[in-house]
Amino acid sequence: MKITELAGRKRKMTGITNILQRVGFSPSGFILLVVLAVLPFIPPFSSEFILRWLIFGAFLAAQAVAFDLTAGYINVVNFGFAAILGLGAYTSAILANTSPYLIVQTGLTPWIGMFIGAIVAGFVGFILGFLTLRLRGLYAAIMAWFVGIAILGLARNLIKLTRGSLGLSPPSLLETSSNRPYFYIILTMMVAIYIICKIVTRSHYGLAFRALGQNIDAARASGINPTKYRVFNFTLSCFCAGLLGGFYAHYFVSLTPQAVMHTSKTVEVLAIAFIGGRGFLWGGILTAFPFVFFIEYLRSALPGLPGLHLVIYGVLMVLVMIYYPKGLAGFVVWAREKIKIYKEEKNGGF
Amino acid sequence: MIFEAENVVKNFGGLKAVDNISFSVEEGEIFGLIGPNGAGKTTFLNCVAGALKPNEGTVILFGEDVTGLKPEVMCKKGVSRTFQISRPFPRLTVEENVEVGAIFGAPKDHKITAKNRVDEALDFVKFPLSRETPAEHLNAVQLKRLDLARALASSPKLLLLDELAAGLTTGELEEIMDLIKKIRDRGITIIIVEHIMKVIRGVCERIVVIDYGEKIAEGKPDEVMNNPKVIEAYLGEKRISF
Ligand SMILES: Nc1ncnc2c1ncn2[C@@H]1O[C@H](COP(=O)(O)OP(=O)(O)OP(=O)(O)O)[C@@H](O)[C@H]1O
Ligand SMILES: [Mg+2]
Repeated sequence: MKITELAGRKRKMTGITNILQRVGFSPSGFILLVVLAVLPFIPPFSSEFILRWLIFGAFLAAQAVAFDLTAGYINVVNFGFAAILGLGAYTSAILANTSPYLIVQTGLTPWIGMFIGAIVAGFVGFILGFLTLRLRGLYAAIMAWFVGIAILGLARNLIKLTRGSLGLSPPSLLETSSNRPYFYIILTMMVAIYIICKIVTRSHYGLAFRALGQNIDAARASGINPTKYRVFNFTLSCFCAGLLGGFYAHYFVSLTPQAVMHTSKTVEVLAIAFIGGRGFLWGGILTAFPFVFFIEYLRSALPGLPGLHLVIYGVLMVLVMIYYPKGLAGFVVWAREKIKIYKEEKNGGF
Repeated sequence: MIFEAENVVKNFGGLKAVDNISFSVEEGEIFGLIGPNGAGKTTFLNCVAGALKPNEGTVILFGEDVTGLKPEVMCKKGVSRTFQISRPFPRLTVEENVEVGAIFGAPKDHKITAKNRVDEALDFVKFPLSRETPAEHLNAVQLKRLDLARALASSPKLLLLDELAAGLTTGELEEIMDLIKKIRDRGITIIIVEHIMKVIRGVCERIVVIDYGEKIAEGKPDEVMNNPKVIEAYLGEKRISF
């Protein structure tokens, strides 16, 4: 009786583990996510001040996932990433505008605007996929960078639409001054983006991405159509960026070209994705939260050094790229493997 | 006739890397393509596989003009190739490398799954290591085997092999010759580029020799190798071993 009950429970457990596995979570990864989800109720994380750090962490983490879909799989660093995120943010902010001084005054609710922004960003990603199709590695990155600069230029100069460098003040997503609901929104976005990207990369699309990223000649000779897979990859990654841009616009309720679209914002995401480990998707999530806390702490400890976080990102990224290109996620996988072998040795034999 | 090349020309700037090459290959044949270093052999294979577009001439496969089609399209039409410098997908495992060919290159067939094709291709080349090994950990000879398995997994009708035997020991040479014949026995036509004449003599029914992009001889291996023009072309060539 007891034994069957136990076996039943065990079967149930493996059932849940299977479902989790299918959407890209290991049991320990899921536990971390649950911890993250209850954190806003535990002091000191429940303070509004630290909640903002958590929100920013999830925002960066979700970006790193979308960025890694391109950088870690098809091996193209999208230097226009922040600009495309900004495009999503601006689209939603412009559509939400009611001020008579700007030409568009649709006053659309951010809940819809965010998705339109994501679609616009996804469309630019689609174009970018075609533009960079014939280019390899660095050249594709530079092309993406130029597209980003062009978008930044538009945001600066279409003053009737964007107020230029003065920026926009879009309405907030929720009518609350509490940060906690926003945290759950961005956490949901992060998990959704992760699950979608994970499902895609688990399918044969992921194999095509990696093959194209590692040896395009051999990939094509094996029948992979680079247009289809690269364009799809860019579109999905940029769609996610655009959606996150919408969140940014209606959470921070302030939007300037410099603050969202600048290349240094891409570099920040790039650093987190690379330190987290390319081609794992979850490496960036694991890195983003401790990083935000570390850097915010530094910022309050050493207030006189505004660019310090970029220097730290840069140094760490270079160290990781030279000495441990698999990054944090690669290390975790390695350690997990070692523990498994150790356990088997302990349990096996007589 | 499974394959015909008619007056194929490929220029790199002023250099005529392939200059007016024509020949045809029958179904089930093992056809050799030889010539000194820089003769244009790899360039010619690239023109056939779609990696390069010929400047002039036509490539015909099963009677269909396939000149200038993209490599992924050529693969779907049944042309697979290995690379002179085999470097498949370094951060994929052995199994995933072959899976790429099996999933994307092979025609859809409900009876044979991609998994079947992978197993079969790896068994066929007698791949010596674990399938979980990342390709970046393989040595040059193992990479060649892997590249061959990847090419086979896409169920080709015409297989292009670019110096598959380079760097092999004598024992391995026998094995690869055996393998090539076995591939042919499965109904796959083969065009093979090779410097090691032992392999050419051992497996090819007919060969063409090219020098400076031009065809200088065609026929049975033994006849062709005694042709004075061929001997002259190879004079001072170190890589060749008769
Ligand atoms: N992409 C390229 N651009 C310019 N020149 C090239 C290119 N590829 C090959 N060549 C030149 O074309 C000629 C033929 O080269 P190819 O690689 O086809 O020779 P090969 O017969 O395969 O020689 P090997 O036996 O050394 O492999 C050489 O002179 C080479 O330098
Ligand atoms: Mg060659």
